[in-house]
Amino acid sequence: MSVDAKNLAGPIIRVENLVTHYGDTPILKGVSFCVDPGEIFVIIGGSGCGKTTLLKHMTGLLSPTSGKIVHDGTDITLLDEDELTRVQRNIGIAFQSGGLFNSMTVGDNVALPLREYGKVGEDLIPSLVRFKLNLVGLGAAEHLMPDELSGGMKKRAGLARAIALDPPVIYFDEPSAGLDPIMASGLDDLILNLRRLLGITFIIVTHELDSIRKISDRILMLDQGSAIFLGTLAEAESSDAPRVRQFFERRADEFIAQRGMVPGGHEEEEGAE
Amino acid sequence: MTPIRIPVPGELTQETGRALHRSAREHALQKGGVLLVDLSNTRTMDARGGAWLLTIAEWAKARGGELAWEGASGQVAEFMELVEPGLKAALRKKPRRVGLLENLGDATIRATAEVREFLNLLVDAIYWTILAPFLGRGFRWGLLLDEMHEMGVRAVRINFMMNFLLGLTIAMLSAAQLRTFGLGIYVADLVMIGFARELAAVMTAVVVAARTGAAIAAELATMKVQEEIDALRGMGLNVPQFLVAPKLLALTLVMPCLVSLGMLSGIAGGMIWGVYVLDIRPDAWLNETLGAAKLKDIFQGLFKGFFFAIVIVLIGCHNGLRVEGGSRGVGLMTTRAVVQDIFLIIVVDMMFALLFYYVVD
Repeated sequence: MSVDAKNLAGPIIRVENLVTHYGDTPILKGVSFCVDPGEIFVIIGGSGCGKTTLLKHMTGLLSPTSGKIVHDGTDITLLDEDELTRVQRNIGIAFQSGGLFNSMTVGDNVALPLREYGKVGEDLIPSLVRFKLNLVGLGAAEHLMPDELSGGMKKRAGLARAIALDPPVIYFDEPSAGLDPIMASGLDDLILNLRRLLGITFIIVTHELDSIRKISDRILMLDQGSAIFLGTLAEAESSDAPRVRQFFERRADEFIAQRGMVPGGHEEEEGAE
Repeated sequence: MTPIRIPVPGELTQETGRALHRSAREHALQKGGVLLVDLSNTRTMDARGGAWLLTIAEWAKARGGELAWEGASGQVAEFMELVEPGLKAALRKKPRRVGLLENLGDATIRATAEVREFLNLLVDAIYWTILAPFLGRGFRWGLLLDEMHEMGVRAVRINFMMNFLLGLTIAMLSAAQLRTFGLGIYVADLVMIGFARELAAVMTAVVVAARTGAAIAAELATMKVQEEIDALRGMGLNVPQFLVAPKLLALTLVMPCLVSLGMLSGIAGGMIWGVYVLDIRPDAWLNETLGAAKLKDIFQGLFKGFFFAIVIVLIGCHNGLRVEGGSRGVGLMTTRAVVQDIFLIIVVDMMFALLFYYVVD
């Protein structure tokens, strides 16, 4: 599947006026945006701004209070369990710390979705697993257990599992968090390669500036549950909005200690492993 | 030796890859031979097509030959560059066979190591539970009450039910035999002695092993998996002191209470059967029960309960701390803890029976 062919179609994902609550606390207060096919769409924002929550809603892991999330023409908030599962087979999710099953080898982790869903013959699965692992640079790790891998390798293995079924869309939560700069940069290259070779659309949550500068096509910035910026990297860097400028200039928040405690500033699990 | 050349069509996909694999296998590839894949006409390839190339490479390796390629350009060239290490190293390693003696030796070494670990834990636990508090080296008294509540108070209902039902059952079974001789009243003696010496202690221990033993193993195993144990050690805190000692003291204090409750519940169960089914007057039944009650028997039950408590806590902690791997390891170790608990309860029970048979009685 080539990038050009898919660009003709409309947006692959459309989020309209998404509102979510955590208990009584509002997390997202009406967020709207579109993601085009083949794009690397980056969601940024400070800790606790609702990035991870947004990602969980877009992948159908949580359901919103109101609003639409349209995947390829289907509003996933209206689907029942079975229909949602069918949509989820067409998206890959790579988790912050890999999300690998600890009781299986890396190879079996990648093979799992292929065995369960894939319309691939059993005879091709071992080669396909090795192919995907080579794509993410983990060819030698096939027979290792997840707890024998480093943090960066776990993320790569998680990515290999996410692309196992050749999904058109991959969600990636914090690809570079907790990695050294070399590893992080390698992972960015990998994302760019996969987009170019396989035409995958990436939706990435991150707050690593270097990584944003390197890979992003468009950026959505969230602050306290609202979208305060949507546009390209160049637009973001020349933006006048104080929050956006602060983010790109890496200036600390004077009230950082209080931010997590104000209503709406719900603390999420972020960053470090 | 000239390489065997196979051309690849314009698009390398699952279908064309399969066909390619089939045609490659028709060639008689010899040892040292080269299978040359011609990619000069190939414009695009996908992952499944690429996977077939790996399959072909593996087949070539297995026959002592190798796979090479030429003419890749554009997207195909990038793909090939990424998977090149995979294509070069394509042969899967066969697992080494392990002989009987090797297995035996391995098992022995592991068993000895485990016993040594357990003995270490035992010594540490005894030190931090009994000696350390008197030497002023700290004991988490606050946690002790929490643990006693969790292990004791919250086990009261299930422990009552289990022993009550067992009492009822024992009364039923023995009455069927004794009433034919008109000796129904002796069921009271039987239930009293049975529960005092044996049944209350064992039944309670089984309940506690399933509740508390499993909980301890799962808690410690999860802590180990999530690196909380390492965090404790890193802070210079002692694991036996911090985690094992409060649990050990709590259960050894609570267990005699639970066993006493078990005795009362069992006797109550027996009495229900005696009064309502065997039609024996309650005061006669009670009189008979109290006549059979000997302090020596009751102490025997409580004493065993005390040792069962030690077994349950230490086996739970031991297995929890030995966990390897992730969530599956936690499940395995919890199961192992409960199985070992129940096995050791029966073994310890038997040893006490021997002791009382030859020494005390």
